[in-house]
Amino acid sequence: MIPEPFEYHIPKNLEEASRLLAQFGGEGKILAGGHSLVPMMKLRLAAPKHLIDLGRLTDLKYIRESDGRIEIGALTTHFQIQSSSLLKEKCPLLPETAREIGDVQVRNKGTIGGSLAHSDPAADWPAAILALAGEIQARNVSSSRWIPASEFFVDLLTTALGGDEVLTAIRVPVAPPRSGHAYLKLHHPASGYAMVGVAAQVLLNEARHIESASVGVTGVGPKAYRATAVEEALRGKAPSRQNLEAAAAHAAEGIDVNSDLYASAEYRSHLAQVYTRRALEKALERAHGK
Amino acid sequence: MPSTILGKRIKRKEDPRLIQGRGHYVDDIKLDGMLHMAFARSIHAHARIKSVNVAAARSSPGVVDVITGEEIKGKLGLVPCAAGIEGLKVPDHPCLATGKVCYVGEPIAAVVATDRYLARDAADKIEVDYEPLPVVTDPEKALQAGSTVIHPELGDNVAFVARLEGGDWKAVESDSSLKVIKQRLINQRLAPASMETRGVVAHYSPGEETLTVWSSTQIPHILKTQLALMLGIDEPHCRVIAPEVGGGFGSKLNLYGEEGVACYASRKLGKPVKWIESRRENLLATVHGRDQINDVEVYVQPDGKVVGLKCWIIADLGAYHQLLTPAIPTLTALMILGCYHIKNVFVETKGVFTNKMATDAYRGAGRPEATYVIERVMDMVARELNMDAADLRMKNFPSPDEFPLDLPTGVTYDTANYQKTLKRLLKISGYSRLRKEQEKLRKQGKYLGLGLSTYVEICAMGPSSRMPAGGWEFGAVKVEPTGKVMVLSGTSPHGQGEETTFAQIAADVLGIPFDDVTVYHGDTFQVPMGIGTFGSRTTAVGGTAIHNAAMQIRKKMARIASHKLGVKPGELIFSEGKIHTRDGAKSMGFAEVAAEAIFAKQLPEGIEPGLAAHSFFEPSNYTFPFGAHLAVTEVDAETGEIKLRNYYAVDDCGRVINPMLVDGQIHGGLAQGIGQALWESHVYDENGQLMTGTLMDYAVPKAHQFPWFETETMETKTPINPLGAKGVGEAGTIGSTPAIVNAVVDALRPLGVRHLDMPLQPEKVWRILKQHATA
Amino acid sequence: MGNDRLSQAPCRNILKGTVKFEGSHTIPVPREIAWRELMNPQTLARALPGCEKFEANPAGGFDVVLKIGIASLKGVYQGHVEIQEPNPPQSYRMKVEGKGTGGFLKGEGVLSLMESAGNTTINYSGDAQVGGPIAGIGQRLVQAAARQIIQQFFQSLANVIQGSR
Repeated sequence: MIPEPFEYHIPKNLEEASRLLAQFGGEGKILAGGHSLVPMMKLRLAAPKHLIDLGRLTDLKYIRESDGRIEIGALTTHFQIQSSSLLKEKCPLLPETAREIGDVQVRNKGTIGGSLAHSDPAADWPAAILALAGEIQARNVSSSRWIPASEFFVDLLTTALGGDEVLTAIRVPVAPPRSGHAYLKLHHPASGYAMVGVAAQVLLNEARHIESASVGVTGVGPKAYRATAVEEALRGKAPSRQNLEAAAAHAAEGIDVNSDLYASAEYRSHLAQVYTRRALEKALERAHGK
Repeated sequence: MPSTILGKRIKRKEDPRLIQGRGHYVDDIKLDGMLHMAFARSIHAHARIKSVNVAAARSSPGVVDVITGEEIKGKLGLVPCAAGIEGLKVPDHPCLATGKVCYVGEPIAAVVATDRYLARDAADKIEVDYEPLPVVTDPEKALQAGSTVIHPELGDNVAFVARLEGGDWKAVESDSSLKVIKQRLINQRLAPASMETRGVVAHYSPGEETLTVWSSTQIPHILKTQLALMLGIDEPHCRVIAPEVGGGFGSKLNLYGEEGVACYASRKLGKPVKWIESRRENLLATVHGRDQINDVEVYVQPDGKVVGLKCWIIADLGAYHQLLTPAIPTLTALMILGCYHIKNVFVETKGVFTNKMATDAYRGAGRPEATYVIERVMDMVARELNMDAADLRMKNFPSPDEFPLDLPTGVTYDTANYQKTLKRLLKISGYSRLRKEQEKLRKQGKYLGLGLSTYVEICAMGPSSRMPAGGWEFGAVKVEPTGKVMVLSGTSPHGQGEETTFAQIAADVLGIPFDDVTVYHGDTFQVPMGIGTFGSRTTAVGGTAIHNAAMQIRKKMARIASHKLGVKPGELIFSEGKIHTRDGAKSMGFAEVAAEAIFAKQLPEGIEPGLAAHSFFEPSNYTFPFGAHLAVTEVDAETGEIKLRNYYAVDDCGRVINPMLVDGQIHGGLAQGIGQALWESHVYDENGQLMTGTLMDYAVPKAHQFPWFETETMETKTPINPLGAKGVGEAGTIGSTPAIVNAVVDALRPLGVRHLDMPLQPEKVWRILKQHATA
Repeated sequence: MGNDRLSQAPCRNILKGTVKFEGSHTIPVPREIAWRELMNPQTLARALPGCEKFEANPAGGFDVVLKIGIASLKGVYQGHVEIQEPNPPQSYRMKVEGKGTGGFLKGEGVLSLMESAGNTTINYSGDAQVGGPIAGIGQRLVQAAARQIIQQFFQSLANVIQGSR
């Protein structure tokens, strides 16, 4: 549980961090809360030569609302999101997701930006950010861009971030009226990661039918994904049990489903369907309540 | 006079330092010039070692030495096994492998370097050339003709076969009215996973020729003897200190090769050497627990009376014996009848070598396996005869006046009232109401299950005649001239809180404030003799030694005080720091009498000066605590997930010294027992690679996974010791595992499920639900 | 129910200790060319992700050094590759053995080539065994990582072959 040797850098500002990252190329790695990367390093599965600790960049710790959107700084901890009253009101899917991450210690140290940049196939945030159709801000020395969540998760542990880009913020739309949310997860009994995690965000129309539903799934395949077939099947439909069940049946469609000691691919696919239906039910119940 | 302090909820003396991070564990020991050690370990489960190339490691920065198996051959003894089993095969078990490796994680070479990080980096540079050999991980395959033999010099993979038989089997087998129920049960391999991993600091002083060893151990005195033998050092030159120890669960009731190598390196280099086990090494190369296959056959009268039980045990011992490896499954045989008066028994235990880490003691050590067998069987019998599980148990309990009760297994149960704990459990849990709720829910297609477990365990180990290296315990009490009291114990508590319990015992006998007593243990230079902490023995055996030593002090102080006060010793009472007559007319302070004894100005004739006493308490038998548990579980019909809704436990561990500590032991024990039933499994693949090598893969139970446990204690005192205490360290773990499995099987009863093997992962349950849905 | 030790394990094949892989990739070249390139150490060296060495050895196989990396997961493995049972231009069996700080890996697979309309479909199937630390610590990620590496290999193989034409 001792990592390989590395150089440790503490940049004073974002510019310096970007510059270091650019300078070290593939050998540099950003350290945020350290709850994804450090365990990998201790197991010597990851061995970056340079660690660039963003710990001093406290201006990346914020949650704010502007122009109908919520923006969250990359270094905001899971616990800050879990306990944010702004988010509870404006985007309750995020606190609900945060609550399910790891344990108290992990939530106090781990950050949303770190988790997204690491893109563990069973991490919780990717499901929620996908379901919210969020955007992720990437900055390098000279420029800044917003990457849609749907393009951000590329493959196993692989994101659309460029080698010299630092993930700096996340933004999501404020939940509109007649919308509902839910994040449901089956925890892996050892790691606490999602064996299956489903984030659902639904919007009802005036006739109380489903205007739109978006579903982010994690823990099932090599990366988190939007269950688009489920979403398509629900568009304009009445929120009946049969409709939900039929739609949820597509939850793991086309996915190369993981299998491990705790759940075979077959069982995981089944869980994906059940958790998708239940997440939709819960989200719809909440949308009806508004 | 009722005690003012025994039976009281007193907060733990050790907690202020422990919860503030001010205790000192092995890793907190820092000595001048201290070197650090790391191991290169086998990545193959079975292979010949063609060569070990340490050149790159030697030239790695900070490296002082690299030690291989070849080097220590003949200079460092083998890892010992103390189990006394007739005909036991004991393979050579060197501290570092030479010639071949037999499990993944076996230490091959040690690097000693100036810091821990450099040692680890260098260890990774050791190149081992392996020639892989066929691997056998399944003990049943290891028994087959033609299987690869792990230790060819021993002939086959059978380490021992032990049989235990009692009763009249001819009569049982010829009785055609008996129903015979058979079942195979698997008790899976577990990782003890104590919070603190293993660790050792070895410090050999070349001048004094003394070896001082700080070790995270449960048995400092035994370790001292074994290390002296292993290294060829005169035992009085050898000192072992167990500082704060962060849990062991039996896994530190051992001597490991790494400890031997650390001592060897320190003596060779003349410097202190530290080794701290990583979590990965802990999961890989600290002993594992359980791992038995139990084929059981039970003979039952139509009225539900069980008359005979046969069990064939295959115990997966792993590749080598550790200190007590083969002894553990023999405890299963001893306790296989549980708390039922079954007159006929047959148990055959086969210990088998496989290419895995050794199994050894893990909380309960053989008794959880026995309890699992008998408690699962009782549920199967109840189901077969369509009786209620509680009624069937009541029918088979011996009555309280039958104790002491001789069992055909050869053990004698001391005292019990099994009816009382079960009745109490049924009452506090609202058992009959729960059964009605279950009926109702079943009609709605919902799965609620009730699981009973009524257990008895064997504790307070134990009479020396039955133990490999003595079963007594040492206790000493010393009164200082200030009247403050020092207590020494030969036990080695490692989280249980006996500094508190022992202080209560001494304060009770001497009638002094609890805060005036300080307890020490764990240092072989401070405590002259001792055995250690394991087998729920510390309070019952170690506490009694302290009680007896304190009684000697009390007697002497009474004589001195009576001399001064001019009354008879028998008229004096020790209470609230005073020694006084009943009416209080004549009185001396406790400290005053202590000063009299120590300054020795006016001692009565025949009384020696000084105020210290010790006792070696030898118990005449084990003790047999018992209890009744009920688990209430819900099964999710769509996913197979299991929810533990309620857990009720009524435990009787004899006299309770501190109810808060008993609660702590029960709660923690329950968590571990439930963990085995629902989540834990240490899994090797067929190539002998450990698949659950981190805590991201191995599911140690966590507090948030449990409901609040409803616990109660009852007190049926044992006559085996004057305290009447039986022991409680393992009770929760022993009782809870079958309760959970019984509850889940009960929930699934409408689906015709008769048994499920642990851990009860949701997928297993889902497959049954699915099968049922399609059938 | 419940008499077989493994029958209730969720994932029996996992306990076999091997990672199964199979799949197919189509590359837009005729089979003869695909075969030639698949037997060409230079092509393989360029297509294998993180390949730092791919040299013929006297035993008839190849000595290989791979720097395997998926995002932050990285390891250096040295080993050898053997081509067996070559049946040009239809199929061969490939054996790979390597070890590194993460442990060891051994794999064996069959590649078969089918041509249709000027394109070649390469079907592959086999299994790999990992041992040592990586077997016990990377369970959650190793399988997915292995699959990704195989995908990358065929993807870049197609690119290399097209690029060299």
